[in-house]
Amino acid sequence: MNFWIVQALNGLQLSMLLFLLSIGLTVIFGLMHFVNLAHGALYALGAYVGVSAFALTGMYWGAFLLAPIAVALAGVVLYLGLIRRMRKAGPMNQVLVTFGLIFVLLDITRIIWGDLALSIPEPQLFTGRSEVLGVAYPTYRLFIIGLGLTVMAGLWLLLSRTQIGAMIRAGVDNDQMAACLGINVERLFFIVFCIGCALAGLAGAVAAPVLSVTPSMGTQLLIPVLIVVVIGGLGSLKGAIAGSLLVGFIQTFGAVLAPQLASVAIYALLAAVLIFRPAGLFPAKA
Amino acid sequence: MLEARGLKKSFGQIDVTNDVTILVEKGERRVILGPNGAGKTTLFNILVGELKPSAGTIHLDGRDVTGDTVEARAKRGLARSYQKNNLFTELTLKENLALAVATASGASGWFLRDTLNDTDILAKVRDVAAKVGLSELLDHPVDAVSYGARRQLEVGLALATDPSVILMDEPTSGVGPEMIQGFHRLLKTLPRDLTVVIIEHDMDLALDVADRVSVLNYGELVFEGTPDETRGSSLVNEIYLGGRADA
Amino acid sequence: MFHQTTTKTVTILLLFIGMAIYTVFAGFYGRELVIEAAYLVILAISLDMVAGYGGMVSLCHGAIFGIGAYVFAILTGMMGISPFIALVAAIAASGLFGLFVGAVTSRTSGIFFIMTTLAFGQMVYVYTFENRALGGDDGMSGVARLDLSMIGIDTNDSLQFALLAVVFAALSYAVAAFIMRSGFGRTLVGIRSNEVRMRALGLPVLRYKAFAFGISGALAGLAGTIAAQQTMFVSPEMMSWMMSGEALVIVILGGLGTLVGAAVGAVLFVFLQHEVSEVTRYWHMVVGLVLILVVVLGNRGAYGQIEHLLERRKKGAPKASALEVAAEKDASHA
Repeated sequence: MNFWIVQALNGLQLSMLLFLLSIGLTVIFGLMHFVNLAHGALYALGAYVGVSAFALTGMYWGAFLLAPIAVALAGVVLYLGLIRRMRKAGPMNQVLVTFGLIFVLLDITRIIWGDLALSIPEPQLFTGRSEVLGVAYPTYRLFIIGLGLTVMAGLWLLLSRTQIGAMIRAGVDNDQMAACLGINVERLFFIVFCIGCALAGLAGAVAAPVLSVTPSMGTQLLIPVLIVVVIGGLGSLKGAIAGSLLVGFIQTFGAVLAPQLASVAIYALLAAVLIFRPAGLFPAKA
Repeated sequence: MLEARGLKKSFGQIDVTNDVTILVEKGERRVILGPNGAGKTTLFNILVGELKPSAGTIHLDGRDVTGDTVEARAKRGLARSYQKNNLFTELTLKENLALAVATASGASGWFLRDTLNDTDILAKVRDVAAKVGLSELLDHPVDAVSYGARRQLEVGLALATDPSVILMDEPTSGVGPEMIQGFHRLLKTLPRDLTVVIIEHDMDLALDVADRVSVLNYGELVFEGTPDETRGSSLVNEIYLGGRADA
Repeated sequence: MFHQTTTKTVTILLLFIGMAIYTVFAGFYGRELVIEAAYLVILAISLDMVAGYGGMVSLCHGAIFGIGAYVFAILTGMMGISPFIALVAAIAASGLFGLFVGAVTSRTSGIFFIMTTLAFGQMVYVYTFENRALGGDDGMSGVARLDLSMIGIDTNDSLQFALLAVVFAALSYAVAAFIMRSGFGRTLVGIRSNEVRMRALGLPVLRYKAFAFGISGALAGLAGTIAAQQTMFVSPEMMSWMMSGEALVIVILGGLGTLVGAAVGAVLFVFLQHEVSEVTRYWHMVVGLVLILVVVLGNRGAYGQIEHLLERRKKGAPKASALEVAAEKDASHA
């Protein structure tokens, strides 16, 4: 019984990490029809900035705050320099340019931080283990779960209750119509892109104490995140939540129950969704 | 020849085509008239298989093709042209027509022969180009020729498949009155055993080429008759002019 | 549409002859580079056939390449079967896998096609990576090379094997060019240009797309067998999506949809990799920057740019058709 609870919590924690990454990617795609393969590299950048911020401030919370800001700034540079002009360039060109960006960002992190695996210690507030449902579970991982749920709730409120949320939903549904209604779609893209980058940076900083920080951590997580986005439905918050949980749990339970089957199962699931429900499980558009 | 019976197409609550029956005989020139939004293009889309009807049947040469794919119907000799140009825009006119000729003749599957260097195919391409008045432009890419030339190519692609039935969706839409005359001269030179169904806005010219006329309004067939009966029908004039006034 | 122009003929001949001459004078390391360039030429050409001419941007060509390599490795290394039979079997297996992926994905397009091919490619990669019987992440060694001693070629000699690889690359170009200038190749371009119209003209489009993907897969598999023979070793890394991405990068660097560009891109890529990594460890960054630059500057690629400059089509004012000219005459007489 304890085994199952621990694995479920592990699954939940991975799901939350996937969610933090996929929500940015999915809204960017839904709104801008832009495929950003470099999203994973931005996550790695966040983790590295976190490492430096920790070294600078001596506090975990320094990393927690600075990583999203730094990655959002990187997003501003990318958007103004490259993404904006690639918006109408078609999926192949976007895939290529952001593939090139992966290479560039990967080597930038190697130049600045080297090839060795780094890490940040957990914040003092969340060290050790806590009792949940009768099992002792690392407190910091519980914090990740809590943070993921908080961001989820926050984004849900933002999208469903605020003006900008309504504008984003309108833009995802039909960007031309939204533009006709007087929404500044261009500025909306910019804001959403930066929020997406900030969340990727946050995910990096949050993951740094749990996973080792390496240049390839971004490319490793990119594929599962893309799977989440596609399975859930491009541009859909509900889809990102469902996809994250699905992939997080299949990966976690698969790894302990049937490693060989599970890794293939995720791709098989992806292929099946793409062929039978190409719009995903929770399509953003009616 | 082409027999559509009880065709119905609904999008949600709205019937865009409602119980339309059209029987066209071999070699007949049938003109479909109707105001904007009457469901003319939808009818064509159903006839060629791009839309599935909610109800009704379509027979081609006595054979039920209701469940057939677009390409299967095209193989049986049903060709169409589009109201909005739907061409191979970055290719030359010759390449466009050669694709159509090759597909119809089965040469599209050739591995050992080049369809752009085949005397039979090129002869057919030139033949079609001459028919639709594009002989001088064959080596130009579509995106470098005028709108009018593209309208002609639109019809040329359909003719190049050697169809037994051709559906033309407003071949003259957007071109000047002189070119409309030209298109009608072209229609009159088409072989008499070719069945032609044509959507046309221009009533006078439509009545000139038609053997029979069908009038659609709000997705329903409201009139069918000879050109003379059409001219004399107060119902048609009222609907048609009324519809035009709305649009 | 594909035309074997003089520019194409001259460039491709110079490229292959240059590779052969370089091989003769190069040392062992240089010959290894030639072999790598040769199989990348084949892989890039196979990808260009579907991506450049068919509009199907595949992110599973690395996996298909790997299938060719693994089938060859399993048959020669593990089962001791003749390399000739293994070669044929590897090409057939890759072709069949391509046909399968092509058939299943033929309904999807754009980003969905890219993602679906990525999914299938990764499935193969992960399966191989996890499969202990295939050596798992360690890969597999003991791959045999083709035995051509009866025609006096010693494939274990680095010079002779490198020249053989160049010959395979040249043959692959010839086959691809022959297909692209056939009715089938023309039809493929028609599908890329306007799938809806091809269907309306009566073409069973899905079948053609699947078949094209199968042919391309067979060629990618051939590339894989050469890669396996070079190091006599195969590893799952050849199947990962990064390999597919690299193949795509090569095609883009050289010029998408030109076939010759794919070959030029492969040689350029190996050259860049070699030269840049002499100067800096960060050669991926250089490749990334070059790639971004190429795409932003209009996506012609090295060879595509040359072809564009040499064979620029005269795009004058829109041409009027005979009918319109006649119509204008009528109007002016009236």
